[in-house]
Amino acid sequence: MSGQYHRSHSRAWFMERPAYIRFMIRELTSFFMAAYLIVLIITLAKVGAGEAAAAEWLQALSGTGWKVAHAVALAAAVWHTITFFAAVPQAMPIYIGEDRLPAPIAKIVMGYGPWLTVTAVILWGVLR
Amino acid sequence: MPDNETITLELFRYHPETDSEPRFQSYDVPYDEDWVVLDAINWIKDYVDGSVTHRWSCRMGVCGSCGMMVNGEPKLTCAAFLKNYYPFPIKVEPLVNFPVERDLVVDMEGFMDKLQDVKPYIIRDDVNDTSGGEYRQSPAELAQYKQYSMCINCMLCYSACPVVGHEDEFLGPAALALGHRYNKDSRDQGQSERLEVMLSSEAMWGCTFVGECSVVCPKHVDPAGAIQQAKAMGAQEYFKRFVMPKGAGV
Amino acid sequence: MSHVTTHEHDVIIIGGGGAGLRAAIAIAEENPDFSVACVSKVYPMRSHTVTAEGGAAAVIKDHDSLEDHIYDTISGADWLADQDAVEYFVNRAPREMIQLEHWGCPWSRKPDGTVAVRPFGGMKIERTWFAADKTGFHMLHSLFQTTLKYGNIVRYDEHFATKLLLDDEGRCRGCAAIELRTGTVRAVLGKSVIICTGGAGKAFPFTTNGAIKTGDGMAMAYQAGVALKDMEFIQYHPTGLPGTGILITEASRGEGGILVNKDGHRYLQDYDLGQPLDVNDPRHPQKRAMELGPRDKLSQCFIKEKNAGRTIRTRDGHVVHLDLRHLGEKKIDKRIPFVRELARSYAGIDPVHQPIPVRPVVHYVMGGIDVDSNSATNIPGLYAAGECACVSINGANRLGSNSLTELLVFGGQAGTHAARFAMDHPDYDVSALLAQAGDERDRIRRTYFSSPHKSGSERIAVIRKELHESMEDGAGIYRDADSLESTCTKIAELRERYANVALDDHTNSFNTELTAALELSSLLDVAQSMAHSAMQRTESRGSHQRLDHPERNDDDFLAHSLAYHQEDGSAPRIEYRPVTITKWPPGARTYGADSGLKRE
Ligand SMILES: Cc1cc2nc3c(=O)[nH]c(=O)nc-3n(C[C@H](O)[C@H](O)[C@H](O)COP(=O)(O)OP(=O)(O)OC[C@H]3O[C@@H](n4cnc5c(N)ncnc54)[C@H](O)[C@@H]3O)c2cc1C
Ligand code: SF4
Ligand code: FES
Repeated sequence: MSGQYHRSHSRAWFMERPAYIRFMIRELTSFFMAAYLIVLIITLAKVGAGEAAAAEWLQALSGTGWKVAHAVALAAAVWHTITFFAAVPQAMPIYIGEDRLPAPIAKIVMGYGPWLTVTAVILWGVLR
Repeated sequence: MPDNETITLELFRYHPETDSEPRFQSYDVPYDEDWVVLDAINWIKDYVDGSVTHRWSCRMGVCGSCGMMVNGEPKLTCAAFLKNYYPFPIKVEPLVNFPVERDLVVDMEGFMDKLQDVKPYIIRDDVNDTSGGEYRQSPAELAQYKQYSMCINCMLCYSACPVVGHEDEFLGPAALALGHRYNKDSRDQGQSERLEVMLSSEAMWGCTFVGECSVVCPKHVDPAGAIQQAKAMGAQEYFKRFVMPKGAGV
Repeated sequence: MSHVTTHEHDVIIIGGGGAGLRAAIAIAEENPDFSVACVSKVYPMRSHTVTAEGGAAAVIKDHDSLEDHIYDTISGADWLADQDAVEYFVNRAPREMIQLEHWGCPWSRKPDGTVAVRPFGGMKIERTWFAADKTGFHMLHSLFQTTLKYGNIVRYDEHFATKLLLDDEGRCRGCAAIELRTGTVRAVLGKSVIICTGGAGKAFPFTTNGAIKTGDGMAMAYQAGVALKDMEFIQYHPTGLPGTGILITEASRGEGGILVNKDGHRYLQDYDLGQPLDVNDPRHPQKRAMELGPRDKLSQCFIKEKNAGRTIRTRDGHVVHLDLRHLGEKKIDKRIPFVRELARSYAGIDPVHQPIPVRPVVHYVMGGIDVDSNSATNIPGLYAAGECACVSINGANRLGSNSLTELLVFGGQAGTHAARFAMDHPDYDVSALLAQAGDERDRIRRTYFSSPHKSGSERIAVIRKELHESMEDGAGIYRDADSLESTCTKIAELRERYANVALDDHTNSFNTELTAALELSSLLDVAQSMAHSAMQRTESRGSHQRLDHPERNDDDFLAHSLAYHQEDGSAPRIEYRPVTITKWPPGARTYGADSGLKRE
């Protein structure tokens, strides 16, 4: 009698299903978001340190390598935003009486709507 | 549909008394476009090989017995039509992330324990008395938890979840959704008792929101959503306890 | 399958469906020191109660009355129900339903927060509680989850009971059960036993019943000497999906669905079931009329319509149409979403846009283990409740939505009485019972694992198929002496052939071929009692329609049939016991315009 059979897990479990790969990509986008945040903080620090330092930093950032990095970070941020807002209706359901707000509307009401509003307010504040 | 068509099923075979490793065995089954994978397995058991072992009962997608991996996807075999695979062979395995008992049958004792862990019943302070009639619950209050009460315990979500496979402590999608179902029931007063269990280390926080549980769920329970909501409730509870330690009153 | 292990408790329940779980909670709650064992061949939430869709009846609204529910049930039963039992049932029903509400069952609600009720066939007033159209599912899961609260309920999941164990005084003290995982035979012993093993629709080929409804408990009691009562009464539900037999709930008609023949005509009006109202008329659907007539009559109308050539021929036999289109998508999705889901998946049609093809399908066994109004059998210490039992409140035709309520009322009652018996008769001799369990283990081994069966020639599936065909042909909606005679002969032949049944699998772990063989044996017992009881009842009543005896005959047959098993397996001895009539003397059974209460 050899008893129950236990199937083992591969270390590359995230390759087992396409959805797991998508999950890993989503998790990876956080890395880019964090990295970009650091760049942003440095930028603010440079701006705080005076015009010369800021100009020098901006000059450095205009290199091709940095441009590519920015593009990647932007793509990651956009993807992160999309997946994040996609989860909003699941994590924060809104009911009107006994009916649940349909996901596409909930995404706008709870996700893209407030986000665009805040962005617009900031832009208005900055560009004014 | 041409007559005498067949379709091949490759069944996972494992016998605990004789085998140390599983193997696959192929069977040719008459093809009928109204048949589901379960019908084909039953046909094999009835007419070809009586030793093929699987669970089933209702054949209408509600008893939750017949979950298996069909071509690598967790499925209710009574709801997986042959016509969606024909003419290619269909590979059937027991649900992953569970120990295999025999052939297509998995050990679900661990799952049953997890269900019990979340205290899935109404908890109230008052004594049980039916003379006052039913508790009132508006359709809106019912809607708050109804979706999470639709789980048939088919365990497909456990097979879709990578955390279940790697973290024994994790209660898993269906059990957490069930706990949340009672937490959201307006008749219940046991929320903090239940969260006590759910909050402990990996029980709930193990969830990284892969979200596949909700994708494979045949009853649209959305356990992933339930868990995220439960986490939010848990965080609130945690905070409440932090500012108002036990015994300090409400 | 080595040695027999012993497991002792106070009360043993065989079956983890609605009735078994309700009994378990009743005992656990009333007797906290008691240990209750629940033995079930599947995990409790897989039990067939899970499939029930439409609802459960109990008087709760102000405009309803207990009296009406009693009368509907008795007339629905064609006066074959015991009226004292029906009174107890109806009076007790509301409390049980409220109790289940307190245990968390997600009943559908009215805007004011009270429970909602819907009309059902044969009921004068809407009184059927529902949880959308998954009522049985929600009831079973609420009950199961509630049992998890009690530390004194011990579950024996995936244990297949094969035999009742009786002590020297003839009291029932447990059962022998095969633990599926290992194949070990266990003697699960207690001071009293309740059988809650459900129905036996699998004696027929085309049924709403799942694989597990094989009448095991009925057969166990029958073998132990308890009569099977009223087994000739088999309910055909008028609306099953062709091919699969999947049920389309009566609630779809309760919500306003209509039945039409191939010409789009609402044919029920041609058979004394009242006149149809327009589907937009606010009084539609009319209670106790047309589509809300009782199931026996509706299924019989289908056959008449078919014989008149007005049904629709399909690959899976003749059908009529259940039309829900006028209800609209919103109502369908709110009230009967499962109907839509099932029709889409299994019939490939969307009831919002197309009518659903339906035909009558074997659904429920009115008969069962003979118990009195305390759920007790004639064996001391042995009780039965749920679909396997016959009290009888269902008589010759069960009203839809009375069964789920019956599980609660009589499950609870059986629990209480079995616990009382256990308290009064605590002592028994373990060794004698253990010896019987050992004998049972040896019998199973001998019968299925050693020659001649190892080299036998009969396949389980073949015998089962022949049984199915014979039951459908000879003991269906309409029967006569000839058809029943040939079914009885066929069953006798199949019982003989069963002795040569051969298994491919002679191993111990999870041997589901062995359990399939045991289930077939139960089906042969149960089918035998059905065919012979039907043969002896030379009248037509409710679901039992004899072409050669088309009238009801109260002079000779206002009585329950009792089939007793014979040691040699030959035809059962059939006896009769008069029906208990209290306040409602037998009358004409009318539906349609002049239905309602017919009393002086
Ligand atoms: C599709 C469908 C829809 C229905 N809809 C309605 C409805 O809307 N309203 C209504 O009132 N009624 C309805 N009914 C009828 C009702 O659901 C059943 O009569 C009822 O659920 C039976 O419950 P039970 O507890 O007696 O048995 P079940 O729920 O069938 O449970 C039987 C239990 O016994 C166990 N068992 C059986 N044999 C053995 C054995 N040998 N060893 C160990 N354990 C064993 C099983 O494991 C199971 O746990 C419906 C029935 C069907 C099939
Ligand atoms: S949540 Fe869905 S997938 Fe998971 S057990 Fe329940 S019904 Fe199955
Ligand atoms: S057999 Fe019941 S869910 Fe598939």
